[in-house]
Amino acid sequence: MLTMLGMIIGVWAVITLVAIGEGASHDAQEAIKSLGTKNVIIRSVKPPSMRAQLHGISLEMAFFGLKRQDAIQIEKTVPGVKRVLPILTKRMNAVHGVREVNCQLIGTFPSYPEFTQAEMVVGQFLNEEEENSKVSSCVISLPLAGRLFAGHNPLLETIVVRGFESSQVFQVKGVLQERVDAEKLPQLDDSLGRAITSNVYVPLSTFYALYGVQNVDQSLGDLKMESVELTEIRVEFENVEEVLPSLPLIHEALLAGRDERDFEIVVPIRELHALQKQKARDTRMLLYIACISLLVGGIGIMNIMLATVTERTREIGVRRALGATRRDITIQFVVETLILCLFGGSVGVIGGWLFAVFRQHILETTTIVTEWSVVLAFGLSVAVGLIFGLYPARRAAHLDPIEALRHS
Amino acid sequence: MASRNIIELRNLAKTYDLGAVQVPALKGLDFDIRDGSYTAIMGSSGSGKSTLLNILGCLDRPTSGAYLLGGDDVARMSDKELSRVRGTRIGFIFQSYNLIQQLDVVENIHLPLFYQGKDIKESYDHCVKMAEKVGLGDRLDHRPMQLSGGQQQRVAVARALVNEPLMLLADEPTGNLDSSTEEEILNVLDELHREGRTLVVVTHDDAVAQRAERVICLKDGLVDEDRLRTSDDVGENQEK
Repeated sequence: MLTMLGMIIGVWAVITLVAIGEGASHDAQEAIKSLGTKNVIIRSVKPPSMRAQLHGISLEMAFFGLKRQDAIQIEKTVPGVKRVLPILTKRMNAVHGVREVNCQLIGTFPSYPEFTQAEMVVGQFLNEEEENSKVSSCVISLPLAGRLFAGHNPLLETIVVRGFESSQVFQVKGVLQERVDAEKLPQLDDSLGRAITSNVYVPLSTFYALYGVQNVDQSLGDLKMESVELTEIRVEFENVEEVLPSLPLIHEALLAGRDERDFEIVVPIRELHALQKQKARDTRMLLYIACISLLVGGIGIMNIMLATVTERTREIGVRRALGATRRDITIQFVVETLILCLFGGSVGVIGGWLFAVFRQHILETTTIVTEWSVVLAFGLSVAVGLIFGLYPARRAAHLDPIEALRHS
Repeated sequence: MASRNIIELRNLAKTYDLGAVQVPALKGLDFDIRDGSYTAIMGSSGSGKSTLLNILGCLDRPTSGAYLLGGDDVARMSDKELSRVRGTRIGFIFQSYNLIQQLDVVENIHLPLFYQGKDIKESYDHCVKMAEKVGLGDRLDHRPMQLSGGQQQRVAVARALVNEPLMLLADEPTGNLDSSTEEEILNVLDELHREGRTLVVVTHDDAVAQRAERVICLKDGLVDEDRLRTSDDVGENQEK
């Protein structure tokens, strides 16, 4: 058993590492896909000239970012665009009864759930009619519902959304569950605080009616005074293939009438490709590690087989005397090494698989044991057995039968 | 009894090349062994007895001369051909039994057939018959460790017989046994001789050699004495 430890640990490591890598990659891909592979996300960012003042205390208002006109421009000029979704966010506090929770007020269009693949838990999302009638209804996200209502049904309850300038009462008409799990999103999450999962959704027109078109997002902590018209524009294309070729056109549409670049573009499909490339690189590295650990394991096995050959010298002599050819002896010892390696490999596979199950179900982290890693582990075990078994086996086969018989 | 020659040695010599020195072990042997005969080869240590045993057993090749076993000159055969000759024409019986510890009685007996490509399933009955022949029909699934020395040597005899060899070649077959067990094994050999099998026993023990019809004594790599025993002698010995 000890002799196979190298093999076992090697195979174990391969199975486990591949499973962990596969799991993480799966999560990341899912997260990226949830942003929509047909989508392009454009976000307002502070242009470099304004960023320079960040460390000083400035009471001057910073005006930058995307405009409603940009959304219209993109929809009109870029071919293949199915629809656009403007989003405006603002940090507020949501109050219900005695509970007060930090939240993010989101002004958007009724197509928001379809765009983000979010699902209504109860009630309805905002519709055109409300947007036009400017009725003060809102939809809240599931985490916020949990925090504010703690198990009560929030439907038709009222909440107060409180900011620096004003407080506003909204009636809850639905609860929405966002699909993107912000924690699992690599690097894409919170450039504008979208990681905050306590959201209040209102029609964009309501947002403007209540807070004005030039929107000030103030947070006392860093004395930030910023004004944007839209925080985000999401563009959905008809087909995935149209996304990448259209990016220059989006750039063009946005850069017209701007002196400074005050937006960033996130392209999920591009992120996905980059991630897949990264994954291929990681997998190659894992293979190298696997090969090294199995090399070490193989040397261990070879050592024990050499010892076995010495120990069983007399048996080899007897077998030769009884008619075994050198080839018979070689085959015997290679097969014995193979069995040893396959046994070690199996224990490693079972160990790695058990660990993966443990991680998946007890630690609740996505861990996927892939078939190819198991096949690879067995394949490498066989290869190790053949390569490292051959030398001891040939040594056994070339023992002089007379000497071997005399060996005690 | 048809008495063709199983073994013919013609000026057989073996010299060990130790690099600096050449050590002659056999200096030219000429004798035949007939089918169905019982021959003892004797000699003190250093007489060339072990070298002759190795050559007769096709474990080693002579430096010069011819060794015809069953009509074929095995002196110039390749390692692979010699393996086949050992597996089909010779039945080895060793001083220390040399059973494979991890195999049971039937599997040990089957081993020479295994190397001739015969599956244990097809030859199982034959192996069992051999075990019964040496009186071990009730020990088929025992391992060597579970058997006494005499029983182990019986398994070795059965193993030597299983491929119907031209000759049984025994190297001090009773060297590791006490006197009563020795008697037992020698009786088995006598019985095989009566069946018409060819036996060659290499020994330094007179008591063992006296069972044979013919005694060849080696001295300094040459035949010192080659004597046929009369049936009177044999009878006399058996009375002792």
